[in-house]
Amino acid sequence: MSEERTERRPRPRGGRRPRRKVCSFCVDKVEYIDYKDINRLRRYINERGKILPRRMSGNCAKHQRQLSEAIKRARAIALLPFTVD
Amino acid sequence: MNRYELTYIIDTALEETARKELIEKVSALIAANGGEVEKVDETWGKRRLAYAINYKTEGWYVLVTFKAPAELPKELERNLEIYDSVLRYLVVKLVEKRSNVKPRAARPAAPVAAPAEEAAVEAAPAVEAAE
Repeated sequence: MSEERTERRPRPRGGRRPRRKVCSFCVDKVEYIDYKDINRLRRYINERGKILPRRMSGNCAKHQRQLSEAIKRARAIALLPFTVD
Repeated sequence: MNRYELTYIIDTALEETARKELIEKVSALIAANGGEVEKVDETWGKRRLAYAINYKTEGWYVLVTFKAPAELPKELERNLEIYDSVLRYLVVKLVEKRSNVKPRAARPAAPVAAPAEEAAVEAAPAVEAAE
């Protein structure tokens, strides 16, 4: 529903506001984020293997929860790393 | 009965015949405990592990989907823990599509549903503006 969120007006005070990102899972109408789909999950971890926060990924709360679960599952069976360095 | 998905990693040091045997054993175990194996998938096969497990950098991935009563995963995990050549396993319950639940399907609600949706869209920006 909130997929097509209208862009906010830039506020007069303060610095530049980056435009609101939309949840890519909502756009694709994903119902279940599969832990085996590592190419997709890869996009949501940083180079250290950490899960990107919502403010970076722009995901909605529902999908961010599902995503973190999926990434953690993928880590458990060595599809994704816990840490990289 | 629930639907589950099992992923496990077999040590690549195990030769092919022994590996096939092990996969058979796991399937038999599911069947023996009242489960019903739907699919055994080895398309991934040999794969690099994202991190070393027991100093091994490669593993043979096997995916099994099955229907089973709720007690089976516990028993299955207990057994997988015993096999030395199983490096890792993960049993996950598959979620059914929520759209399977259809309340009031018989009502010809098409003309009513459309304006209701519009109203919801309108309501969303209104909340933002109020902020």
